Amino acid sequence: MTVFVRKNADKPPMLVYENVKKCYGTFMAVNGVSLHVNAGEVVCLIGPSGSGKSTLLRCTNALETIDGGEIRFEGKPLPTKDAEIRQIRQRMGMVFQSFELFPHKTALENVSIGLTTVKKMATEKARTRAIALLTKVGLADKTANYPANLSGGQQQRVAIARALAMEPHVMLFDEPTSALDPETVGEVLNVMRNLAQEGMTMIVVTHEMSFARRVANWVVVFERGQLLEQGPPQQIFEAPTIERTRDFLGHLGWSG
Amino acid sequence: MNLDWSIVWQSRGPLLEGALVTILLTALTMMIAVPGGIVLALMRGSRLRPVAWFATGFVELFRNLPLLLLVYWAFYVMPVLTGLGLPPFATGLAALCLNVSAYNSETFRSGINSIRRGQSEAGLALGMSRSEVFRQIVLPQAWRRVLPILASTWVSLFKDTSLVSVIAVGELAHTAMQIRSQSFRVLEMLTAMAAIYWLLGYPQAKIVDWIHRKYGVRE
Amino acid sequence: MDFDFSPLIDSWRFLASGLGLTIVLSVTAVACSFVLGLAVGLGRMYGRTWLRTLLVFYIDSMRAIPVFVVLVWIYFAVPIISGYSFDPFWAALTGITIHVAAYVAEVIRAGITSIRKGQVQAGLAIGMSGAQIIRQILLPQAIVRMLPAFGSIVSVTIKDTAIAAVIAVPELMRQAETVAGQSYRPIEVFTTVMVIYFLLIFPITRLIDRYYIRVAHLGRS
Repeated sequence: MTVFVRKNADKPPMLVYENVKKCYGTFMAVNGVSLHVNAGEVVCLIGPSGSGKSTLLRCTNALETIDGGEIRFEGKPLPTKDAEIRQIRQRMGMVFQSFELFPHKTALENVSIGLTTVKKMATEKARTRAIALLTKVGLADKTANYPANLSGGQQQRVAIARALAMEPHVMLFDEPTSALDPETVGEVLNVMRNLAQEGMTMIVVTHEMSFARRVANWVVVFERGQLLEQGPPQQIFEAPTIERTRDFLGHLGWSG
Repeated sequence: MNLDWSIVWQSRGPLLEGALVTILLTALTMMIAVPGGIVLALMRGSRLRPVAWFATGFVELFRNLPLLLLVYWAFYVMPVLTGLGLPPFATGLAALCLNVSAYNSETFRSGINSIRRGQSEAGLALGMSRSEVFRQIVLPQAWRRVLPILASTWVSLFKDTSLVSVIAVGELAHTAMQIRSQSFRVLEMLTAMAAIYWLLGYPQAKIVDWIHRKYGVRE
Repeated sequence: MDFDFSPLIDSWRFLASGLGLTIVLSVTAVACSFVLGLAVGLGRMYGRTWLRTLLVFYIDSMRAIPVFVVLVWIYFAVPIISGYSFDPFWAALTGITIHVAAYVAEVIRAGITSIRKGQVQAGLAIGMSGAQIIRQILLPQAIVRMLPAFGSIVSVTIKDTAIAAVIAVPELMRQAETVAGQSYRPIEVFTTVMVIYFLLIFPITRLIDRYYIRVAHLGRS
């Protein structure tokens, strides 16, 4: 049996989660999760709804504060001071399930707003950069559109460009295709696949099993706030070692 | 500055009476203006063009005028129109009803319009008549949207009744202003007037908030 | 019944000056209320606990007390306390502003709280600060959503300026009372002034509603 070696395993990991806990009242949303993400890896978090994978993702850029354990990003624990958290967030791009584009800004302005307000970049320079990014996600002709005049898939691609504009070291995707019409899911997944091929480090919470299987380097299965199993996609999808993983994949109609 | 607050206590009888008239005026106006608003809203949706036009004109006119002007107008025009020498209370009530009916009509219209057409069609498909659909399906659902707005209108109306004081309706504001000019205790009486309105109005505002929380529809 | 509109024609300059003052008072009152209301609304949402308690008390008190009472109190009672007497115009402007600003504050708060939490998080996720999120994301959307309510605040403010007649501000309502009293033609005078007020208020609210329909999507996140 060959031993699977993770990408960039010889270098220090980009993100380390150590016994992370997060509770809402008495409900343990994340209950002692430990894992790590190496530079250049695409890690997919899968599992039933409410299993804690989205919560863990939102803890990563401190949209939620953790109640126990530690998250280390590029060697340092997540800071607690507001100004320092903002610095960290600039190095992590996030894409939301419901896009969260700003409705009063055009596609172009949505992509450049972070550059101009947070990075204080000159408007012209930010504009050029935004156009380049919108071109990259295939929306060069939609720069002047407001979100209301874009399809769901187009909105989500703008949201990806908005996150990329900050030149993040890692991209966090929170169920990026769950709110989309089936016919536009593909265009978003394509953009994500291209991004992965360029070597972007990505953490993706998803229910798209074929994406996880084809694009991920590492798959993590969650259940009830805990980590059920993790491994390379071949192992998770073809030879899950744990019965519960098999059950979960079976429920989704996944047949090996 | 020499102040004599005893005047407020001495005037407790008239002030209490004035407050009761204020509340009575508010309640009577609402009792007339709620059905009035529903009728106007239905008239606006009527297929008979002249009926719809009349209702639209009525509503747009009376909700886009200062109430004070409406009160004066009613005071001079009502006797000519009706041929009767109406007492100030009835005149004030009429002015308030014209204004609040117009507001309520808009409230009911938007409440009714907020119910999806599919709801009416489902009722019609069951063989209900238009009026059955309105009473059994549309109105009960619209009520939830209408009630919080009616509650806000109630508080506005409660405050607006102070304006009929200019035609000598003996409600709270008029009573207090009268005692003020007879006793020359200006600061004391005006402060007492403000305090009584506050005491009566503050709980109403809080109840409105509660109704909004309980019944308010979130988009 | 015969009507005589000649007193109106004779005193049209007098009435026109009243209309001018009504417009000036309305515009300044709307502007001042908006500035004060924005400050109160933001303070009520993001201020310290004592400030929030104070502002809630102020807002709810203004919801409880008629603007007539506020005007009369400022004009007649404040000079007794302070020793300074107000010009009626400034008393009216102050009273209307204090009253309307409370409503503006509530409308702004409702506008901001109606915006989804995800919008704030999207701002946080690209590293924006709290102040940047309020200025760049929340307020622009809230202002669009507020437009219909803002339209009715403008209309309420214009209507409230008529109450300034009670403290002898020579605006349209007051001038109308004077002409009606002198000419013994109240029906003609008040009916004409009704038309003038209607022509002033109705188009403004209509224009704001029209404009809102055009820009509504900018506030829909």
